[in-house]
Amino acid sequence: MIDTKIPVTVLTGYLGAGKTTLLNRILSEEQGKRYAVIVNEFGEIGIDNDLIVNADEEVFEMNNGCICCTVRGDLIRIIEGLMKRKGTFDAIVIETTGLADPAPVAQTFFVDDDVQRRARLDAIVTVVDAKHVLARLDDSHEAMEQIAFADIILLNKTDLVTPQELEHVRQRIAVINNQAVVHETVNSAVPLDRILDQGAFDLDRILEIEPAFLDEEDHEHDDTITSISIACPTPLDPRKFMPWLQDITARQGQDILRTKGIIAFPDEPKRYVVQAVHMLLSGDLQEREWGVDDPRISRLVLIGRNLDPAALESGFMACAA
Amino acid sequence: MIDLARDHSLKAHVRPIALGAPASGLVWIGDAACFALGDGRVLAVESNGAVHGNGVVHKGAILCAARSPCGRAMICGDDVGDVRRTEPSGQSVLLGRFPGRWIEHIVTSAESGIIAASVGKEVAVWNRQSDAQAHGFSLASTVTGLALDAKGRRLAAARYGGVSLFYALSPQSQPLPLEWKGSHIAVTLSPKADYAVSGTQETGLHGWRLPGREDMAMSGYEAKTRSFSWNRKGTWLATSGDTNAIIWPFEGRNGPMGKRPQLLAPSTYLVTRVAFHPSQDVLAVGYADGAVVLARLHEDMFLPVAAADQSAITALEWDRAGQCLAWGSEDGHGGILDLRKAA
Repeated sequence: MIDTKIPVTVLTGYLGAGKTTLLNRILSEEQGKRYAVIVNEFGEIGIDNDLIVNADEEVFEMNNGCICCTVRGDLIRIIEGLMKRKGTFDAIVIETTGLADPAPVAQTFFVDDDVQRRARLDAIVTVVDAKHVLARLDDSHEAMEQIAFADIILLNKTDLVTPQELEHVRQRIAVINNQAVVHETVNSAVPLDRILDQGAFDLDRILEIEPAFLDEEDHEHDDTITSISIACPTPLDPRKFMPWLQDITARQGQDILRTKGIIAFPDEPKRYVVQAVHMLLSGDLQEREWGVDDPRISRLVLIGRNLDPAALESGFMACAA
Repeated sequence: MIDLARDHSLKAHVRPIALGAPASGLVWIGDAACFALGDGRVLAVESNGAVHGNGVVHKGAILCAARSPCGRAMICGDDVGDVRRTEPSGQSVLLGRFPGRWIEHIVTSAESGIIAASVGKEVAVWNRQSDAQAHGFSLASTVTGLALDAKGRRLAAARYGGVSLFYALSPQSQPLPLEWKGSHIAVTLSPKADYAVSGTQETGLHGWRLPGREDMAMSGYEAKTRSFSWNRKGTWLATSGDTNAIIWPFEGRNGPMGKRPQLLAPSTYLVTRVAFHPSQDVLAVGYADGAVVLARLHEDMFLPVAAADQSAITALEWDRAGQCLAWGSEDGHGGILDLRKAA
């Protein structure tokens, strides 16, 4: 079946990090591709595009008994309304304000059937200012969330810091989110094929999960977001793993920002791939089968706050068949 | 009288119309079905195929349309912020300009002469006196639906957390809040303004009986409800959002409370638009696959009017006499059924 869903790229990042510069690169360098750009009405100006839509970042709670399940009401309306211009654009870029929490944006694509039918979230791209990010991380909840939610991080303005400072920033980012692909840039200059059409939320394109390289010592204080990677060398029993995963995302879903996993089940030639944004889980058997020589190692990554690595690891291991 | 048992070959009396762009709305003016389109055009075409006008009148995509209070033109809103009154010939007057805003909802009333348009978190109101905006109302969140009662005096605006009711003609009108948790995405008022009913983000309807504001919940829908239609007496409310047309009884003191709805015209596709005939208990139903059928209350049988073409019906309206039915779809397919030929 041909995928007729419009791909959506979300650009986040603190004010002044270089989001608008990146957006203008996308609009000017991607010749032949037409974009609908959704920007905040009070956001940065100077975007050159035919189709610009002002959003007001209305975050709504879903009335479904799930307190962390928030969506962007304006995006639901805008994506529906853009269908009146069907055929006049090929992709959507959403530029959020510096203070935006990416969770409601991502959750909109999980929760709303109408949005899901028309559009697919391609990737969350976070632009980070190498010079100021450490200070931002200390005083801003949102700066950390934006890094934690990213599929791709543009570590920008690397010309303004010393090699030592840059290394420190790299390490800090890796502690928060060890799964994002990091590109170091000046003036947001990155080949666009590294940030567009990534399929980061496409279960069939989640190819591997990097193992953890995190020390326990890196945990600083409770509010800090960290990534936890777990691996199990024996295939997992789906009758144990599924309830366990549902239970932890339901109970700790407010603290768990993102989850990604590639799981081996006994006698199942296909990989089971799972991902979640807070409590919203999606999972499926991937078309791609385990290779003959592939070690059938099940891996799970959780990015969030107040995570207990020992408890999560023992819970995961207990799912072994 | 439409006889569903006899008029079995309605498809033979349909004139297909290539709209060329997504249909946002549709209004009958005299003998002409006037389609408001996503490329800014207004296409006015008679059931015999004669085209009155087909010009680009809006710079942006038209998002909504309603019949002007005078009945001789349509009022449309677009996604660059213009509200215009356009006659079938294409002659057009600018009523309001709200740069950078989307005009997503417009309601009008021949009785009160009012035009109300949603502009983000505001509702702009025009009255009979002038083509300039008369007054406006402010809400705390974006207006997601508008409705008027039969007299065109009570105005309901759907929003996050419920619905706000205004006296549309009164600039000083303070909102009467109808609160219910969650995001409300569409609203209708019963003709006598004794019920307000909203469609919710989580699917299902929420209702309030007025003036006491008693809550009602109507659930069981597969998708969001965006289309409402009352029969001529205001005793039945037809709704979209499921694979049946779901029709709730509003007769008696308690309305639909404790009663079962009628489920008409089942399909494997979702119902996207419903439109009651202006004088009979016949319902036109449009689906997500582009099919259109006619169904009668209390009857299991229904008649196909238009075949499926895989593009959702987004506009569906009877003419005032109830002799012609027109529709348009998201991919720009349209049609007119002329029942005078079927008689």
